[in-house]
Amino acid sequence: MDVEALEREAQGAVAAASTRVALDEARVRYLGRKSQLKQALRGVRDRESGMTLNAARERLEAAFAAREADLDRAELDRALTEDTVDVTLPGEEFARGHLHLLTQMRREIEDTFLGLGYEVFDGPEVEEVSYNFDALNTPEGHPSRSPVDTFYVSDDVVLRTHTSPGQIRYMEAHEPPVYMVSLGRCYRRDTPDPTHTPTFHQVEGLAVDRTITLADLKGTLLYLARVLFGEERDVRVRTSFFPFTEPSAEFDVSCFLCSGRGCNVCKWSGWIEMGGCGVVDPNVFAHVGYDSERWSGFAFGLGIDRIAMLRHGVPDLRLHWENDLRYLEQF
Amino acid sequence: MRVPVSWLKEYVPFDEPVEDVAGRLVISSCEVDRIVRRGVPDTDGNLGRYLVGKVVEAGKHPNADRLQLCRVDVGDSEPRQIVCGAWNFGTGATVAVALPGAVLPDGQKLEQAKLRGEVSNGMILSERELDLGVEHSGILVLEEGPEPGTPLADVLPLSDDVLELENGHNRPDLLSVYGIAREVAALLGNELAPPPGADPPRADEEPVDVQIEDFEGCPRYIGRTFRDVRIAPSPPWLKARLVAAGMRPVSNVVDITNYAMLGLGNPLHAFDQSKLRGRRIVVRRARKGEQMRTLDDTLRELDERDLVIADAERAVAIAGIMGSLESEVDDQTTEVLLEAANFEPLTIHRSSERLRLRTEGSNRWEKGVDPYLAEQAAKLATQLLVELTGARWTGDVDKRHELPERPVVHLRPERTDLLVGLRTEPDDQRTILERIGFEVALDWNVTVPTWRARDVTREADLVEEVARFRLDDVPFTLPQRTVMFGRLTKDQRLRRTVEDVLVGCGLSEAYNWSLVPVDDDPRAIRLPEPLSADQAVLRTTLRHGLIESAQRNVDGGAEDVGLFEIARVYLPTGKKLPEERWRLGAIASGGFRRAKGVVETLHEALKVELRVAAAPQPFLHPGKAARFASGWVGELHPALLDGTWGMFELDLPTLYEAVPDVVHYEDVITYPPVRQDLAFVVDEAVPAGALIDAAREAAGDELREMRPFDVYRGGQVGPGKKSIAFAVTFQSGIKTLTDEEAADLRERIVTALRERFGAELRA
Ligand SMILES: [Zn+2]
Repeated sequence: MDVEALEREAQGAVAAASTRVALDEARVRYLGRKSQLKQALRGVRDRESGMTLNAARERLEAAFAAREADLDRAELDRALTEDTVDVTLPGEEFARGHLHLLTQMRREIEDTFLGLGYEVFDGPEVEEVSYNFDALNTPEGHPSRSPVDTFYVSDDVVLRTHTSPGQIRYMEAHEPPVYMVSLGRCYRRDTPDPTHTPTFHQVEGLAVDRTITLADLKGTLLYLARVLFGEERDVRVRTSFFPFTEPSAEFDVSCFLCSGRGCNVCKWSGWIEMGGCGVVDPNVFAHVGYDSERWSGFAFGLGIDRIAMLRHGVPDLRLHWENDLRYLEQF
Repeated sequence: MRVPVSWLKEYVPFDEPVEDVAGRLVISSCEVDRIVRRGVPDTDGNLGRYLVGKVVEAGKHPNADRLQLCRVDVGDSEPRQIVCGAWNFGTGATVAVALPGAVLPDGQKLEQAKLRGEVSNGMILSERELDLGVEHSGILVLEEGPEPGTPLADVLPLSDDVLELENGHNRPDLLSVYGIAREVAALLGNELAPPPGADPPRADEEPVDVQIEDFEGCPRYIGRTFRDVRIAPSPPWLKARLVAAGMRPVSNVVDITNYAMLGLGNPLHAFDQSKLRGRRIVVRRARKGEQMRTLDDTLRELDERDLVIADAERAVAIAGIMGSLESEVDDQTTEVLLEAANFEPLTIHRSSERLRLRTEGSNRWEKGVDPYLAEQAAKLATQLLVELTGARWTGDVDKRHELPERPVVHLRPERTDLLVGLRTEPDDQRTILERIGFEVALDWNVTVPTWRARDVTREADLVEEVARFRLDDVPFTLPQRTVMFGRLTKDQRLRRTVEDVLVGCGLSEAYNWSLVPVDDDPRAIRLPEPLSADQAVLRTTLRHGLIESAQRNVDGGAEDVGLFEIARVYLPTGKKLPEERWRLGAIASGGFRRAKGVVETLHEALKVELRVAAAPQPFLHPGKAARFASGWVGELHPALLDGTWGMFELDLPTLYEAVPDVVHYEDVITYPPVRQDLAFVVDEAVPAGALIDAAREAAGDELREMRPFDVYRGGQVGPGKKSIAFAVTFQSGIKTLTDEEAADLRERIVTALRERFGAELRA
C-alpha cells in the first residue's frame, strides 16, 4: 500500500469537505474501522511500517479535528448573521440628570484654583454693611452704596453685592499667607433682562504673601483665561478704579469667537471684558490687621453667569434661572 | 464724556492716528467706548466740494414764491446759479456751499438738480445740514472775511472724530477736554498747552455782593459781573464744539458757560443780574418748605440739607445742579452774574439723588471738583464773554475759605517695583509723575497737583500712577509659594458627591431665586424695598422654587420631570444676620416612592444610616409624609401641583455630620451567607421598619440584611392585617454558620416579633 498517496488523498478529501456531513463521510472512509488505513494497521507486522502508519493516522485525525472546528465556527457565524440588529437604533436608556451649567463652571474654576494651591471659602450672602462696604474701603456716597443699586435689609445689613466681604472675613480668621477663592450668589438691584439678573454668581480670588505683585496677578488671570477659553488666549489689564485695590484694573481676554479680528460680541475691539482686579489696598490690610510692609496681595473678581453665557452662546442670562429641562439637558 | 479730537488737539497737538491714542487711553486712563466720525465725510476728496461762497445776486425764484434764486461766487470764473429755500440772507452774504457730487453728513449725495425749471448747481447749507448745530430755519451766514472759493474746512470744523469716554468715579479731572489732553500729553510725551483762558482788562470796579453762609457746602465762590451783554446765537465754531461734545447750543452766554465746563471741568452758571433781588448772592442751605421752579419748569420742594444759591429774598439755583426759571438769562438780558464756584460732593450727590435730577453739573460736582479750578474756568468764560457777546467785565469777587493744601506723599521708587513686579528706573518714575503734574523732590517727597488731591494721598496711590503707564509691560508670572494648602473641605467634597448622586438618580439641577413672594415662616426676612413683589422675602425653604420650576416644565410639555437644588436658606435668628444653611431640595414626578428612593440612594452613597418615621406636613399628602434625621420626604399635596410628585428637602450640614470619615472593611466574602424568606402577619398599623429594628435587636450583627420585598393584604391574612415578606440574610464574619445556628437566629427573630407586635410567621 502506498501510505503517502493514501494520506494525500485523505488530506484532499478533508480540505474538500465543506459540510459536517461530507467531513463525517470522509472520516469513515479514511479513518473508519473498515478504512484502508485501519485495515493496514491491523495487519502490520514490523515496527517501522507500524510507526509510519500511526504517524499518518495521527496527522489525519488532527486534520479532521481542525477542519471540524473551522466548519463549526463557520456554521455559528452563519447562524449569527441571521441575528442582526440595526446598530443605528438607540441602546437601552438610562435616566441621567444634568448638573446645572453654572455648577459645572463653578467646579471648573474651583478645580483650577485648587490646582494652583488655593482654598475655597464662602462668606454669608446676607452681609453687614461694614463688611460689604466699609471694610473694603468704599466711601460714603460711593454709587455702589446707593439703595438704587443695592438691596438693603436694614440700615446696616445688605444682600452682598459682591463676594469680596468674604475676603475680609477670611483674612480676619487667618494669618497670611492666604490663597483663596470664593464663589457664590451676589445681589444687585438690576431689573431682569437678557444681560442682567438681580441675583448672579461671582468668583473672587485673593492671594496674600511676601512678594505678591501685579505681575503675579496678570499671570494668574492668564492661567484662568486659558483654562476657560483655550490655550491661545491672551489677557490684558486696563487701569480702573475699585476702592479695595490700588492699583486697580479691569482685565480682558482676547475674543475667543473671532480670535481678536473683531466681531459683535467683542464690539469689534478683539477683547472681551472679564472682570475687575488689582493689588490689595493698604487700607483693607489695615482693617484686618495685616502689615502691608510685610505682606502684599492681589484680588480679582468676575461674573460666572456672564462667562457661561459668552462661552456657551446662551442668549439670555435669565435662562440660567428658568430651570427648563430643555436648557438644563444641553450641558 | 465726549471729546472732539479737533478740540483736544488745541491743547495737545499729535499726529498719531486717533485709534492709537484711544488704545493708549484705554490701558492707562479711562475706557473709550467708541470713536465716532461726525460731520462731512472726509473721503475721496469730499471736503474739496465744500467751499466758501459769496452771494452775488439773490432774488425770488420766477416759478416759486418760497424759493430764492441766487448767483453765488465760489471762486470760479463765473458765479453759480443755486436755488435756495431760506430767506435769512441777501446779496453780499458769505455762505457755505456744497458742490454737486458732495456727500453730506447724513450720507446723501448732492446732485445737480432742476427746481421748478431752474438749474441749481450746488447747495447753500444750514448749520444742521453740516452737523454743526441744530438751527435749520435759515442757512448758515458766515462772518465776512474769507475769499470766495476758500475751502470751507479752513473756516469751519467740517469733520471731526469724537472720543466717547466712560469716566470712573474717582477721576473728576478726566471730565474735561483739558484733563484728557493732560493724559494724552503724558502718554505720547507731547507738550501740553497751558490751560485755556486769560483775563481781559477789567472795564470797571463795581462791587459784587456775594456772601457764603455755608463754607462746608461751598468752599469757594467767584462772582463776576458783566454789562452790555448782547444775547445772540454763538458763532459756528463754538456751536460745532458743543454739538460734537453732545450739548445743545442755546445762546452765547449759556454756551460759554457750558464750553468752559467741557473744556476745563468746572461747571459754571450765569444769572441775569437784573433779576437778582438786592443784586446779591447768598450761598446757604434751603429753608424748611422753600420751593423753587427750576429751568426745566418743575416746581421743586427743597429741604434743609439742600444747598442753594439765593438772592436777597429767595433761592435762585439749587447749587451745582440747576438754576431757577426766574433768574435765567433770556433774550433781553444785558447784565450777567457769572458763578464760578466749588461745591462739596456729598451735598450735591444727596440733593441730586433726592430730587432725581442729574445734570452735567451735578455729575461733575458729586465726583469732587478741584477747588483751584474755579479761577481758570472764570478766566476762560470771562475772556469769551468779552470776545463773543460784546460785554464789559465790570466786577469781580472771590469768596473762599482756606483752600486745601496740596498733599505731599513720600514714594520709595523700589516700592513700585516690588508691588508691580516690573523694574521701572527711578528716573522714569519721576518723568511719568511729572508729566501728569506731580512735583517730585530730590528726596522723593511728591507734591500732588490740586486736581488729584482727592484720590492721591498715599504711597500706594503714587505706585498706581506709575503702574498705569506701564500695564502692558508688566510680565505674566505666578506667585512664589512657600506654603501650599489647595484642597476642598469635607463639606465641599461631599457637596460634589451629593450633586453627582442626584444626577445619577436622574434628577437635573435647578437654580432658583433666593427671594420669593411668600415663605412658610412668618418671621422670614422681608426686604423693605424689594425689586418686585415676586422677589420680596428671603426663603427659608427651597420648596416653593422647585414646585414653580416643575410647573414651568409641565407647562412646557415635559413628561418626566426631576429637579434638585442645592442652595442656602436664610433662617431668621432675631440677631443682625440670619443663619444661612445649605439645603438640598428635590421634586420628581412619580410620587412618594421615587423621592424616597432618591433619599435612600443618597444615604447609601454617603454611608449614612437612614431611619424614617411617618410625620405629616401641611404641604404633603397626609398618608405619604415622613421625617428623617436631616429633613423630610413625601408626596406633594395634590392641591399644590397637579399630578403625583415626590419631594424632599434636607439640611446638608446635618447630613454631612453623619458621614463617616473612613469606611472600614467588613468581611462578607470568606464565610457563606444563609438566605431565607420570612413573612409575618401583623396589624395594618405596624410599619416594616419597626419589625426590622426589633429583629436586629434580637439577632444581633449576624443578621446581615432584612429587606422587605412584598406586602400582601387579603383573604388569607384577615381584615385589618397585612403580611410583609422579608428576604433575610444571616452571615458571620468569623465562621460558617451551621444549620442549627441559622435556625436559632431565625427563632430569636420570630419570638421577638411575636412578643413585640403579635406577629405571626406565615408558613
Ligand atoms: Zn470678537
